[in-house]
Amino acid sequence: MLPYNSSNPGLLTSRMTATKLTAIKQFATNPAVSKTVIATCILLAVLWVLGCGALYRIMLRPPEAFAGFMAKLPGPVPFLLFPFETLWMRARSGTLHPGDPAPDFSLAKLDKTAHVQLSTFSAQQRPVVLIFGSYT
Amino acid sequence: MVYITEAHPSDIWQMQSNIKDQVVFATPKNEEERAAVAGSCVRKLGIKIPALLDEFGNSTESAYTGWPDRMYLIDAAGHVAYKSKPGPFGFKSEELKAAIERIVPTH
Repeated sequence: MLPYNSSNPGLLTSRMTATKLTAIKQFATNPAVSKTVIATCILLAVLWVLGCGALYRIMLRPPEAFAGFMAKLPGPVPFLLFPFETLWMRARSGTLHPGDPAPDFSLAKLDKTAHVQLSTFSAQQRPVVLIFGSYT
Repeated sequence: MVYITEAHPSDIWQMQSNIKDQVVFATPKNEEERAAVAGSCVRKLGIKIPALLDEFGNSTESAYTGWPDRMYLIDAAGHVAYKSKPGPFGFKSEELKAAIERIVPTH
């Protein structure tokens, strides 16, 4: 029991804080404890890397399979835990590069009035913008 | 526009924002259903540019890695002049605008 010093009421508190700090220091410098902390950090890091790898592999799968998997995860988890955007940009980078010949296609217009073949534009020396997307 | 397979159909990966915006559609089961959703999209959003429908096997989406959304500029010789990064993060219209200005001479 520490004597109460009425001229310095903060002394008791600061002594208790010092005792606590010493206890924390002893705990943290205990070799067994620091080993456990390091092991836990390494384990978490390994799990995180494995998680990134798993998410990346799922991103490489067809859209429906990827979306089906994402729907099963709780909302923001993959976005908060992993570098989702970085992995996504890489996984969906695709095989086409600027300068490559654009793969030809012939698709029906939505109003069903005609089919449009991409190569007819280059035959007429006309550039084309393609915007891929869906309503949802 | 090339209308491709849905990004967030209600039966697979529904988003709160879809419910909020009342854009709730189940995965189309065939090409006619896809055309119906695409038609709603064009009407509701007032899309004036020509709209094409990717066939149900998603061959064009696969060739261009277009899902969930992406932009390309094809030059007059039929080569890829600009390819955006994958959407939604990479869908940046100002990049497309700059690419068009690079290849199309201004009048």
